[in-house]
Amino acid sequence: MEMIHLILIIFLGGAVLTYFAGKVNDILRDALFILSILVPAILFFTNVNPESYIDLSIAGFNMKWGITHFGWIFSLIVLGLGVIVSFYAVSFMKGRDKVGSFYFNFILSIGAMLGILLSQDFVSFFIFWEIMTWSSYLMVVYNGNQVQKIGIKYFVFSAVGAYAMLMAIVITHSITGSFLITDLIAVFPQLSNQMHILIPILFLIGFGVKSAMMPLHVWAPGAYSNTPMAYTSVFSGALSKMGVYGMVLIMITLISHIPEGHWFREVIAWMGAFTAVLGTLWAVAQDDAKKLLAYSSVAQLGYIITGVAIGTELAMLSALFLSILHALFKGTLFMAVGAIEKQTGTSNFTEVSGLIRKMPWTFLASLMAIIALAGIPPLGGFVGKWMLYESLINSNHYILVIMIFFSSTAAFLYCYKFLFGFFLGQEEKEWAHVKEAPALMVVPMIILAAGTFILGAYPGLILSPIDAGMQAIGFEATQGHYWEMSVILNQWGDQVVLQPIVYAIFAIFLFFFLFLFFKSRKNTRYVTTKDISSSGEVPLEHENLTFSQNFFQPFLRAVEPVMRRQIDKYYNEFGRGLEAIFDFGRRIYTGNGQTYAIYVIIFVIILLFFKNNLFG
Amino acid sequence: MVGSPVLFIAIPLLAAFIIPLLGMIWKESVRILPGLVLVYLLTLSINLLGYVLDNGPIIEIIAGWTPPWGINLVFSAFSGFLVTLMLFLGLLVWIYSYRFKRNVDFEPAKKYFILLMMLITGSVGIVLTGDIFNQFVFIEIVGISAYALTAFYTGRDSAEASFKYLIMGSLSAGFLLLAIVILYSQLGTLNMADIARNIHTVKPVYKITALIFFIVGLGIEAEMFPLNGWAPDVYSQAPGPVGAAFAGIVVKSGVYAIIRIVYTIFDIEGAFDFLVIIGLITLLFAETAAIKQIRMKRMLAYSSIGQMGLVLVAFGIGTEAGVFAALFLMFNHAIIKSLLFYAGSYLVFNSKEKYINDVSGLGKSMPITSFLFALGAFAIVGLPPFAGFWSKLYFLIAAADSGMIMIIALILIVSIVEIVYYFRVVNKIYFSKKEAHVVPQRPTFNALFSMIVLGLIVIIIGFFPDLITGILHDASRDLMDKTDYINNVLSITH
Amino acid sequence: MEPILYKVFGAVVTIILAFVVGMTYMGLSRKITARVQNRVGPPVYQNFLDALKLISKKTAIHHGIMQMMGPAFFMVTSIGSLMFIPVLNDGRFFSNLNFEGDLVFLLYLMVFGPLGMALGAGQTGNPNSAIGVTRGLSQMVGFEIPWVMALVALMIQYDTTSIVGLMEAQSASGTWLVFSSPFAFIAAVLAMLGMFRYSPFDIVGAPTELASGPVAENGGKYLFTMMSSNSIFAFVKLTLYVDLFLGGADNLIELLIKTFAIYLIPMLYGLVSPRYRTEQAVRYFWGWPLFFGFLAIMYAVVF
Repeated sequence: MEMIHLILIIFLGGAVLTYFAGKVNDILRDALFILSILVPAILFFTNVNPESYIDLSIAGFNMKWGITHFGWIFSLIVLGLGVIVSFYAVSFMKGRDKVGSFYFNFILSIGAMLGILLSQDFVSFFIFWEIMTWSSYLMVVYNGNQVQKIGIKYFVFSAVGAYAMLMAIVITHSITGSFLITDLIAVFPQLSNQMHILIPILFLIGFGVKSAMMPLHVWAPGAYSNTPMAYTSVFSGALSKMGVYGMVLIMITLISHIPEGHWFREVIAWMGAFTAVLGTLWAVAQDDAKKLLAYSSVAQLGYIITGVAIGTELAMLSALFLSILHALFKGTLFMAVGAIEKQTGTSNFTEVSGLIRKMPWTFLASLMAIIALAGIPPLGGFVGKWMLYESLINSNHYILVIMIFFSSTAAFLYCYKFLFGFFLGQEEKEWAHVKEAPALMVVPMIILAAGTFILGAYPGLILSPIDAGMQAIGFEATQGHYWEMSVILNQWGDQVVLQPIVYAIFAIFLFFFLFLFFKSRKNTRYVTTKDISSSGEVPLEHENLTFSQNFFQPFLRAVEPVMRRQIDKYYNEFGRGLEAIFDFGRRIYTGNGQTYAIYVIIFVIILLFFKNNLFG
Repeated sequence: MVGSPVLFIAIPLLAAFIIPLLGMIWKESVRILPGLVLVYLLTLSINLLGYVLDNGPIIEIIAGWTPPWGINLVFSAFSGFLVTLMLFLGLLVWIYSYRFKRNVDFEPAKKYFILLMMLITGSVGIVLTGDIFNQFVFIEIVGISAYALTAFYTGRDSAEASFKYLIMGSLSAGFLLLAIVILYSQLGTLNMADIARNIHTVKPVYKITALIFFIVGLGIEAEMFPLNGWAPDVYSQAPGPVGAAFAGIVVKSGVYAIIRIVYTIFDIEGAFDFLVIIGLITLLFAETAAIKQIRMKRMLAYSSIGQMGLVLVAFGIGTEAGVFAALFLMFNHAIIKSLLFYAGSYLVFNSKEKYINDVSGLGKSMPITSFLFALGAFAIVGLPPFAGFWSKLYFLIAAADSGMIMIIALILIVSIVEIVYYFRVVNKIYFSKKEAHVVPQRPTFNALFSMIVLGLIVIIIGFFPDLITGILHDASRDLMDKTDYINNVLSITH
Repeated sequence: MEPILYKVFGAVVTIILAFVVGMTYMGLSRKITARVQNRVGPPVYQNFLDALKLISKKTAIHHGIMQMMGPAFFMVTSIGSLMFIPVLNDGRFFSNLNFEGDLVFLLYLMVFGPLGMALGAGQTGNPNSAIGVTRGLSQMVGFEIPWVMALVALMIQYDTTSIVGLMEAQSASGTWLVFSSPFAFIAAVLAMLGMFRYSPFDIVGAPTELASGPVAENGGKYLFTMMSSNSIFAFVKLTLYVDLFLGGADNLIELLIKTFAIYLIPMLYGLVSPRYRTEQAVRYFWGWPLFFGFLAIMYAVVF
């Protein structure tokens, strides 16, 4: 048996077995759950060689499975994140009900994502894509909150995307007679102009939905925040990257003869930038950490989409690097929210504050992830952001630079809100009992956060597989031009040498930290957050000094004109309009036998009247 | 050859008569006999189908008159496949309803099984016969048993539904008879093959009028818009398994008749486009009506109508790939819609008004039924890796190959509507709070068995579509080859 | 080991220089403000005395580890960005890390400090600190945009993102950038008003409303660290402006003159302006400064 078959069968069988093991024994179930992700991951990374394919035929469709160098980058995200989060999930799900179905969908969606990357033909691609969609849908509705609204919205948008993709696939098949992705790529330049526009746009809708591109993003905030946090890390970190993966496939390999700067790329780059800006502004306005991170994910994917759309070597490097980074830091953050939610029962900033002394490790992981998210050196996020800016400037997209920069500066607002809302501020008595999350939850967070740190100093570690992947889809080698192990360069040869920077920053930080901390450690004492100087008065015990309502009110007032118009509302209006039309459809069936008989007569008369037009 | 196609009509008809007689001797035989008959017929049809796939169609002459004078039955790959499918579904209906209302009297059970036997006789007859008047007779048999089955619960609403069905059925019969009369007056024959051979000699005006009457008459059976007003009422009032039988068996025979008319008998190209258009309209109105339904079975009924519309579109494509897709769609619709009717009627079993809201939160108390319903919902909207996906894919490929891009777009948009209303129900089952007044009903073992069989088929075909595609290819090739059909029938001698 | 020791020594000297200059400027600004308001004012060296006092104080209480990390983060930014800015045109001695980071990097490094300090202020639990922080961050979003636009304009005009590259371009062409890309200079100067947080943009500390905002809870060594890193940071910003727009400085005297000239702009503007509200401040930066930013980019694209 081929290794790829074995891996997929382990995923599928593991999912089913894990589900039923839950009826027998909880520990067995947890162990099976971790194994059915860990074992395929190990098998995949040890035994599956990139660029070696197997053929199979199902239902008359020729399928081709195998991993490209390019797909391998994404498999790193999917399986790496999947394995790490699976440990977290075991601890996160302890004591909840419907654990079995959670595990089932978790394993299945990881398997489906890997399947997507393995598929070299559109039929299996679509099959895995849909499996991924419905398994993640079942995760979205898992909690049972607002399933009809959020769940249906997610699935409808996914279906719109999937069907757009399906349409592109069958149209392709009708032209090329083949479902292989390589065949489409080979044939594409000879197609008619109409097809040149239609096929990429249809694919783009398909992938744009999953990667939450404006204006197809409206499902994302609800879906991300409604999902159990253990899965949201994968959802936002890996699943949304499948959209990016597809987008690269289409934008780069399919239309590679469309030059850089072509309107098609420009439009998408702008959509990415708008996604980033609006997503960020909405994130700032949220009071719930899950929603905040959800909008933030939308915004971050906006950067990635912009990078992919620009499509120069540096832009692609940055987009792919950011994809991996986003999986790392957003995975960490969602897990942190999950940990906080598990320990305190809420994820709302207005309810909980001052957890830093109770959950220090969670704070540390969040802090690192936030620094990476904000793109501040020396953590990895900076490298991706830097490359993105430089690529935009080098490719003459000046307004886009400003937009992206605006959004990443405004991102500081919600970054701060996240850290302050949960960890800093007044320590309320109400949360005095809170303990640090179990080690099984903390360690995965720390591992991912450490990943951002390592990539900040040595981005070359991950840029070299990215480079290999990019060469596989037709780019020039970039090592030495744009990056070395710990140096990043732009097209003009300007560089950032990361290693001395990291050293310098740490040296300075340590020096002052020790200066402030160690020297005064012995003769200072900790005082509660009530013990503060408030214009000379000492606040009393019952006085509420927590500041969390309307946190960024002044800022939101400043940007209010932009936020007044919600895309969501337009969709709702559209939906209501459709419902009205549907109601008309329903009214045709009056339930009256006479009416139905009249319909028959009228139908006959119409047919007889137009018989020559219809059958002539 | 192990048997003759004539047995498919003779045995169940005979059984229908014997049931009340046997019932006088041993009451349980009323329930057992239909099952034995159906098992025998199913094995027979599978054997015959195997034979036919190797050796070409079986033409059976009745009463010694050779075509075009006598009545003949045609058991080809196409009709054989449909017969097998119908008998299989009939068997499942029997299993499902074996203990149906056992606590009630012996009388209803007797009537029920007699009518079921007649329904199956008629439907199988429609598919097998090679004579249009004979087909008309079978349609009437189906109709009469179907009216009675609809009114099985003898309530006000079911009587009303049955009456509506009766009105529409009579209209249908009238138009069919008109069409037959027109053809007979022009050609002097009732044999399908003979008509098909000579149809080019008929003047267009007669030809087209006859076709229109056929389409209207058969369209009522096949739930074509706007002739399908009876369907929602009938589905929602008839007992659950009967709804499944209608969706899986009766409507299939109606569609078969239309297809036979359009593909084999007439040579009018416009009819194909007409099928596409009318199928699309049916699909559109049915799905939009379905989304606004608040009752479970009505929703399933509209969905069923919509699926038939899709099947008509697929047949209207007119290529072999289109026919193949249409047959696959029919197969999936039969399996999945039966599953949905079975599971759905158990979910609303104890609810008075059969509202969709009443299924809320039943996922916990009826895990297997809920799971099977969800499986059916996933499959019917075409999610991989379940059976419905493949037929949808084949359909889209066939449509794309014929250049119907806008139609694909329209159908996909409608599919989204379908997703919405099915997923609403699934969400309600699993993720909503239970309604206090609803008492969950444990399915009987038989019902569970037939549902699980259907569920397994959905999953197995989903993973191994190759199991079915071979037969479907043969069947679609068989339908496409018109001259072969004519020659086979007319060359037959004693 | 010689070059590294040499470098470390150079870095230390740079830091001390920045500290002294920054402190002196702050003292000068206090003096000038006082004279304008018809007061005598503290002596110019008052800030040094304050620093001395703060550092010699013993810290008695703290609110937790983040409060200690906050000032350290700020210091990282100040000194870190100082390392990447060429102090003099021909500054072998002051070269530090000049060639190893570019403008985009510097932009990001420079926002690190405020964020770190904001975190430190957050842990103290004083609501005034947090309010100050939100105001500061909002204002930062405001002024960063014209500032970035000015920098982008420079980058595309001279096809380099490195500060050293821009300085070389100036010395090669013989004109200062303030003349060759005037709109960028205007946008940058307007952004600088926000960066220095003098009135009307002193909404972060807002003495009358917030009791000095983020730093409210800090005293002793914390306050010293903040104060000194603030002065270093002021020096960094001024030097950056001089390097970018005024052709850099050939010797220390020239540097002092040029930086002080720049420093006067926000200070004098502040003397005559009352404080904005936060949204007014933010919107201010998205008005004319943004317009000039666009002009600068257009100018850079056209020429």
